[in-house]
Amino acid sequence: MKILYDWLKEFVDAKAPAPEVRSRLSLSGTAVDALEETAAGPMFDAELTINRPDCMGHYGVAREVATIYRLPLKRVEPKLKESEEAASAAARVEIACPEFCGRYTARVIRGVRVAPSPEWLRKRLEALGHGSINNVVDATNYAMLELGHPMHAFDYDKLSEHRIVVRRAKAGEKMRTLDGIERTLVADMCMIADASHAVAIGGVMGGQDSEIGFASKNILLEAAWFDPISVRRTSKTLGLRTDASTRFERGADPEMADLASRRCVELIQQVAGGELLAGVVDVYPRKLQPGVLLLARRELLRVMGGDVPDTEIEAILKSLGFAPKRTDKGGANSPDAVWECCQPSWRADVAREIDLVEEVVRHYGLDKFAPRLPTARTTATRLPNAAAEDRLRERLAGLGYQEILTIPLVDPAVDAMFRAEGDAPVHIANPLAEDASVMRSNGIGNMLAALEWNLNRGQRSLRLFEIARAYRWNGNAPEERAVLTLGASGYAREKGVAETPREFSFEDLKGDLDRLGELAGGLLWSSRGPAWLHAARRGEITFRVGAANGTAGIAGQLARGVAEKLKLRQDIFLAEFLLEPFYAACSIAKTARRYTPISKFPAVERDFSLVLGEGTTFADVAAEIRSLRIPEIIEIEAVDLFRGGQVPAGKFSLLVRVVFQSPTATLAEIQLSDFSNRIAAALIEKLGAALRTA
Amino acid sequence: MGGANGKPCMTDVFNPTEKTLDALGVSDPVGVEKLFHDVREQFDRQTDAKSPTEPNYVGLKNAWLGRRAGIVNAIAENWLKPSPTNLKPLVGHALNGLRQHIELRLETMRRNTAASEEESALARERVDLSLPGVMRPVGSRHPIRQTFDDIEQIFLSMGYQVVAGPEIETPYYNFEALNIPEHHPARDNMDTFYMETPKGAETRLLRTHTSPMQIRTMEKQKPPVRIIVPGKVYRRDNPDATHSFAFHQIEGLAVDVDLTFCDFAGTIDYFIRQFFGPGTKSRFRPSYFPFTEPSVEFDASCIFCGGSGVTGAGATCSKCKGSGWIELFGAGMVNPAVYKLVKYDAAKLNGFAFGLGVDRLTMLKYGIDDIQVFFQNDVRFLRQFA
Repeated sequence: MKILYDWLKEFVDAKAPAPEVRSRLSLSGTAVDALEETAAGPMFDAELTINRPDCMGHYGVAREVATIYRLPLKRVEPKLKESEEAASAAARVEIACPEFCGRYTARVIRGVRVAPSPEWLRKRLEALGHGSINNVVDATNYAMLELGHPMHAFDYDKLSEHRIVVRRAKAGEKMRTLDGIERTLVADMCMIADASHAVAIGGVMGGQDSEIGFASKNILLEAAWFDPISVRRTSKTLGLRTDASTRFERGADPEMADLASRRCVELIQQVAGGELLAGVVDVYPRKLQPGVLLLARRELLRVMGGDVPDTEIEAILKSLGFAPKRTDKGGANSPDAVWECCQPSWRADVAREIDLVEEVVRHYGLDKFAPRLPTARTTATRLPNAAAEDRLRERLAGLGYQEILTIPLVDPAVDAMFRAEGDAPVHIANPLAEDASVMRSNGIGNMLAALEWNLNRGQRSLRLFEIARAYRWNGNAPEERAVLTLGASGYAREKGVAETPREFSFEDLKGDLDRLGELAGGLLWSSRGPAWLHAARRGEITFRVGAANGTAGIAGQLARGVAEKLKLRQDIFLAEFLLEPFYAACSIAKTARRYTPISKFPAVERDFSLVLGEGTTFADVAAEIRSLRIPEIIEIEAVDLFRGGQVPAGKFSLLVRVVFQSPTATLAEIQLSDFSNRIAAALIEKLGAALRTA
Repeated sequence: MGGANGKPCMTDVFNPTEKTLDALGVSDPVGVEKLFHDVREQFDRQTDAKSPTEPNYVGLKNAWLGRRAGIVNAIAENWLKPSPTNLKPLVGHALNGLRQHIELRLETMRRNTAASEEESALARERVDLSLPGVMRPVGSRHPIRQTFDDIEQIFLSMGYQVVAGPEIETPYYNFEALNIPEHHPARDNMDTFYMETPKGAETRLLRTHTSPMQIRTMEKQKPPVRIIVPGKVYRRDNPDATHSFAFHQIEGLAVDVDLTFCDFAGTIDYFIRQFFGPGTKSRFRPSYFPFTEPSVEFDASCIFCGGSGVTGAGATCSKCKGSGWIELFGAGMVNPAVYKLVKYDAAKLNGFAFGLGVDRLTMLKYGIDDIQVFFQNDVRFLRQFA
């Protein structure tokens, strides 16, 4: 809402400079975003809150300024020249849908001279961003900007039978609005019609057929009150927001209709002449008795924690139109003071005691209530998994992963590429764009987008993670599951003066995941995985401890075909797992953690250089060694792996190191060679291994 | 002069220390002194400070002080032990003098050699401190996450409980229960994404604020309530430098029998000074939200122009449009209408609620002027927060 300071001054003798008024308005609830200089003087650009339709005209804002400076607000008293003939003889009004239209007033002016508007009128309208149309239409707009009440002037001679019927739209009814667009109407819209057809959409826009033009002579001026919800619904359905609809949908003042109409006639007569027929045709089915409200000081104290003196309470409420009267017997500033107030017709938003409290304190000054810290009455409590999530984030950062944050509204085509079988996606019914029209069912698509953004900007070595939700339907209920997504590409180690470069590999990904797994009692790997991961470099993850209900996650290299399709030119490594089972496992692992005594006796290593058939795994070897149940074995490690060279095709060479240690004695050479022999024999016999002597 | 095997020795042709005094024909003190004098001279030549004929410390030490084959030992064996009684004290005395002289000189030599060796090793091994160390990659938390953590920490210190709730909400929790009925114009400011729901399922939307958790918490929990609700929220706004259709909020709610606006002001004031620093000025401006009353907008002094409204160059500050204040978030005392639905006694209870915009606070804190950078995840941006 744009407000001209000079216009305000017509209603209140404000002397303060505009910047001060700007600041005082803002601090009392009328937020002024900007102060501009215009041809019509200083202008405030105010962002009104939606509960204040009364401030959608200069008069309402003038009331705020009057209250701020405790100045009187001038009354609006239009002076009209009326003819002998009664308006009621010249026009008839009938409201067939009082649920949509609570009041309709019509005045008739004869013999106007429609012409361009005078300079002073044009200047103000233009400063406020309204184009000038002609003196009659401009006068209705001027009166609206002054008093906040929208009105409409019809060409009286184009209204069939000079009759106004306010009714619901008929099914399939059509009308051409002032903007030249033919609108198709529906039954819950409020129409203004004459004896034969619709001439306006109530509270939204007039029709082209009855528009005031330079040939118009006689006018019927409508000043009405339309139901906010009905106007809002109609405006939304038609996609048509107007000055009228934004005022009516916030709740206009039904009492203002008549005053605004008289002020408008005064202006029309001033700029276009004409003769006003006596009186008004006023159909007012929804006339309300003014409400009575009580304000008790005890309630103000209870809510605010600080007091406001009687004089201030009374001055503020009086200035705002609440006509406060003390009803208690207490003295000045008594804690038992109670005021009886009447609710002004323009303040439908003030209907309860708390609303009066707010009115008083916003003008008294919120800064006058001294801040204090309340006593804590509850214990500080974090989210159930917050500590485990901290550990996870710390470890990821330690492993070199940057945290990313993404928007979970994604492209359905991309999401579907990585969606687990059976997951029902959650689609947006009214998306802004097709590529943001489904809630992600996994974090892979977003992770790839982040990797791609960086790769396209010359950032080659990337390690990223995201902790966020994945969404799906679980029957009729949406399900939001927290997932961790990892993405890596480029160098695991960059070249430097002291370092040789090394590309990130599957082993890096697996090692990083196992490091995370340490927080949760370890991971179990199995060689499966979705088809979008490289068939030879992927795995499924489950947690060693906790609920054993299936796979918790996947890890691997993005399949080359998929990478090509997404135009990713370097190897991409991805992993994702569910966080609920991870946190559960973390908690179990933490509770189960116990100290293992460290042996005082030396540990001894023995290496076994094995040649094994392809398909045999390190796990097979370790399991074979463990099956010998030698308690002195404390560790089995894979130290070296190679293929080719002297190793025949179909075979590979694996160097396995076994570490022996006893908690009670130094191991003797004879024991060690016995262990070694048994291990070698078992591997040869069970796995067909050949032993190469080092 | 070095011997054939590289070991120093007396002379190649004649070595008096291999013979006894008797064999050398020495029988008087003058002869003894001369012998010792010659030996000493020989040693001094080999170890001359300026041009030693024999710079090898280890070799010298073995040749002269070696336990079996050393010259000093030979003198003791060949000259001292078989010497006649009258000469023995003199020979012993001279031998001690010679030994001390040799030991002292060799020790000095050892020190000098060690020092110079160390020096050349240092020159060879000295690091160039202007070269980078091996920088193991470290990751970092996203700046938005850091703000979440910072804010959580501040409210935890005041005894708040952190709770989380669903992003896919029902209209009841997102709107109706918060006193925003259908057709309320407040819904215009919260343009909403709705879900395509399966047949028979309730209407669902993406929450437009984290406020639904106020209701979900009060439904389950009796006062006193002190909660904060961090999370993602969604509004159907076209993306630009200050809008994203997903962003982050922390909702706060406190309800108790004795809370007032003064407690609310104190809480917010404490928070803002903890978050932006003790010098930050703040103010409340009356505003309107359906679920609070009185409602306020909370402003902090503009961190870009220091609250003056004017930039260093004299232009109007574009961040605060010259007002000197930056709007931070909306808040207020809980509207009694909200208590009614959760069966709280509005006549006895009071409380306050606030909705912190985490993205906006992060932008203000670090001087970021485009919200989109948070979601692009450019590592050059992310690394600045490591």
